[in-house]
Amino acid sequence: MDTKKSFGVRTLIPILTAVVGIVFLLLGLTQYGFWHELRGPLPGFFPTLVGIVLVIISALALFQSFRDPARPVPMENWLPAVGALGIILGTLVFGMLFSIIAFLIIWIRYYEKYSWKTTITTTLILVAIVVGVFMFWLQVPFPKGLILDAFAY
Amino acid sequence: MENLLLLLDGFQVVFTLQNVLVTLLGAVLGLIVGAMPGVGSLAGVALLLPLTYRFNPTTAIIMLGALYYSNMYGGSFSAILLNIPGDTPAVMTALDGYPMAMKRKRPGQALFTSNISSFVGGLIGMLILTFMGPALADLGLKFGPAEMTALLLVAMTSIGWLVGKNPTKGVVLTLVGILIATMGMDTLTGSPRYNFGNMYLLGGIPFTPFVIGSVGFAQVLKLVSEKNNKVEPHLEEKLTIKGSLLTRHELRRLLPPALRSGFLGTFVGVLPGAGATTGSFLGYALQKSFKSEEELGTGAIEGVAACEAANNAAAAGSFAPLLALGIPGSGTGAVLLGGLMMWGLNPGPLLFSTQPDFCWGLISSLFLANLLTLMIALLIIPFLIKILTVPIKLMIPAITVICIVGAYSTSNSMYGVLVMFVSGVLGFVLDRNGYSTAPMLLSFVLAPLLESNMRKAFIISRGSIGIFFEKPISLVLMLILFAIILTPIVRGVVTKIQGSRG
Repeated sequence: MDTKKSFGVRTLIPILTAVVGIVFLLLGLTQYGFWHELRGPLPGFFPTLVGIVLVIISALALFQSFRDPARPVPMENWLPAVGALGIILGTLVFGMLFSIIAFLIIWIRYYEKYSWKTTITTTLILVAIVVGVFMFWLQVPFPKGLILDAFAY
Repeated sequence: MENLLLLLDGFQVVFTLQNVLVTLLGAVLGLIVGAMPGVGSLAGVALLLPLTYRFNPTTAIIMLGALYYSNMYGGSFSAILLNIPGDTPAVMTALDGYPMAMKRKRPGQALFTSNISSFVGGLIGMLILTFMGPALADLGLKFGPAEMTALLLVAMTSIGWLVGKNPTKGVVLTLVGILIATMGMDTLTGSPRYNFGNMYLLGGIPFTPFVIGSVGFAQVLKLVSEKNNKVEPHLEEKLTIKGSLLTRHELRRLLPPALRSGFLGTFVGVLPGAGATTGSFLGYALQKSFKSEEELGTGAIEGVAACEAANNAAAAGSFAPLLALGIPGSGTGAVLLGGLMMWGLNPGPLLFSTQPDFCWGLISSLFLANLLTLMIALLIIPFLIKILTVPIKLMIPAITVICIVGAYSTSNSMYGVLVMFVSGVLGFVLDRNGYSTAPMLLSFVLAPLLESNMRKAFIISRGSIGIFFEKPISLVLMLILFAIILTPIVRGVVTKIQGSRG
């Protein structure tokens, strides 16, 4: 673990939460209203109060963050996020089911280097769960993607 | 007596073929997911939430209850066989469970002790819930907006302090959760706010994809660091049901700690912000003050029984404030509460009187879930090693797919998947930097209730903050709130003074 005391994500988090607090309190005060003499608290009342407290507590968290050790995230940890993003983008073109199958095969066979037997068995089990539970039981209409949609019309 | 009759009415609701099968399904899935190391009860319940969409509200909630409850059983399996707690309440189980399995070479008996104690603790919790739930609801009826505001503030603040090592970070995420919940529509006037001109944000941030992302998908990203860990238990013999049975003497050793912890755990579970983890810790601590045949920490049956009974009792007890006041005791409870709200049910003092079928049906289903989970937990002992040793390398793509499909199924749109993805990435970054996401989930669920009560209180008092200190209940709650806020500050100052002297 890197214990260098430098500016990093741990410092950025309280800064960002303070910014969120400021945005909510400014919009609350300027757009949604804080208090009406007759009607009492307006839609911006509660978020504004919470925004103020968030800014104060974030400032406290910011000071504390300089004492926290940095915990850099290994690049490998982001791979499932890249994979999920691939499925999301692939869904638009090839449909969700095809994208999921492609992701599973690429991950299990080419990234984790499992045998074809394990790859196919695991993929089949997961696809059976997705199709059986979500498509047939819950009747979720999965997106077919641009290509299949083009063929359909 | 009246409560027992209502409970029997509840059993009439539960004993339909569909509801019994759904309880069984919830128990099996909850047990398996809870047993898998690295998944845990919070992620487990979040991932399985979409499965309830197929049913009517009562059946859906019965399934959710069974999922939640059986998850508590499952967490101890990996703690006993692998020394890896499936969830935080099982941390204490590992202290005696693992030595009992490995040093004393009695893994089956450790599992059996854990299952029986969980059943006993859960049963005590459910019996107390049967009587305490309606009583708490009656008390809740005396709560006006000021009292509810104070109570909700106590609930949110206490979980902020309890979860994670740094209370400041807990409070930051509690506040962030509240602000996220305010996006979409104003709870009182129905006017749009904080949607930044986005059509999708008009409906607010959808609960299920948000939970699946910040808990389930964040867990996947976290699991990558653990994927090369070997999770193989070194057992000399195969696990069998017959070989796991306890002797009569061992059952006699198990019962007293299980009964004591059952009562203690239930009352801990009722406290807002406490929950199963605190119950388990206190149950074990209580057992230390009693005599155990073997020393605690060396594989004592009493140690396993005390914490397992306490955590299951707390899980059952936490249903009392959840149903009667609408206040969950943990992150998992918050997911459950979100599930209830998703089905149009508003837990609170009126729930017992306006929807008795639902309330008593759910409580009765917990009794059934407890019995079914015990039976399944004992029957799967021979197969546990297979469940526990599913390689994390394969769990990562599997959970990723479930997260995407589950998030999509909530609204049949890619918007849900995007919410899941963004909250997952943020949840991982936050967790990595010591910000536990459980307080955020709790406040996200409770924020609409807090806002509407706070605004009503200010309307009544015409803007005077004095309303929170006028009546005894709200005054006591506000004093508790200040004590919760001031305790870590005072403790920090005292530690500094002692440090400078010493």
